[in-house]
Amino acid sequence: MLFFKKALVAAILLVLVSPLFGVVLADLVGYHEPLDLAAEAIGLEDLTESLNWTPLLDYSVPGLPAEVGYIVAGFVGIAIILGIGLLALKAVGEQRSQRA
Amino acid sequence: MHIPDGFLDIATAAITYLLSLGYGGYALSKVKRTFNPDTVSLVTVLAAAIFAAQMLNWPLPGGTSLHFVGGALAAILLGPWLGFLTMFLVVFIQCVVFHDGGITALGANVLNMAIIDCLVGYLIYRSAVKLFGRRDSVRSIAAFLGGWFGITIAGLACGLEIGYSPAFPYGVTVTVPIMTGWHAVLGVIEGVITSVVVLYVARRSPHLIMSEAG
Repeated sequence: MLFFKKALVAAILLVLVSPLFGVVLADLVGYHEPLDLAAEAIGLEDLTESLNWTPLLDYSVPGLPAEVGYIVAGFVGIAIILGIGLLALKAVGEQRSQRA
Repeated sequence: MHIPDGFLDIATAAITYLLSLGYGGYALSKVKRTFNPDTVSLVTVLAAAIFAAQMLNWPLPGGTSLHFVGGALAAILLGPWLGFLTMFLVVFIQCVVFHDGGITALGANVLNMAIIDCLVGYLIYRSAVKLFGRRDSVRSIAAFLGGWFGITIAGLACGLEIGYSPAFPYGVTVTVPIMTGWHAVLGVIEGVITSVVVLYVARRSPHLIMSEAG
């Protein structure tokens, strides 16, 4: 149980500091995804924006500053993963009780 | 490492989807009987931690970046099948919720990060521990090599996929050396992080390193 708590706390801390690396430093050095740069250099069309279906594109949240949006997106991602885990736990519990 | 939409042609996308689906089905069948609340919790929490760690992009001057991927770490801690499920969860959420990696390239991204990275890291670690014993020095070096080679071979696979895809104008003679070489350099950091985390877990909760079992 201690391991789970520590891992979750670590995940939350990582999300809280993530804008420093994912937004602030990225702006500072003019960062782009390496594969995006390659595509741009050879004139290949990256369809990410034209094919987009999510409002949380690239860990941004509409209406929020990039840094805050990055944190919110991180917590949304973690919440979804934990939600899926809880559903799986419930399913496993039901299976085990049926077997017993 | 996340291939976006527009980089793979239909054939490459379809083949990588089929490979990933087939492997995923096999991995599920392998772990189905051993699923219990503890393993589900481990997969979930590790996926959350790896998802958060991947958000820490370290931009490098010149306009590129590195970030921890975590496939080797997941497989060393949980074994290749549960490790696959952990990484699949991460890559799937990144794609579907944040469009980080294309939906047409999801099969390729799963293949690279959830299958190849996991398998290479697991095999290196498991072999080293079997051969040289469960000592901290062995664990440390094996985890480093697992993390390093895992990401390097995954980079090679990424180079092959985009190189063979007619959608990408450069062939494998260009894409493979670039992707492999770049990931071999950046993979040193992946190896160091993998080694530090594995050693930490080994000293406090060695039973959690499932790749050492049996």
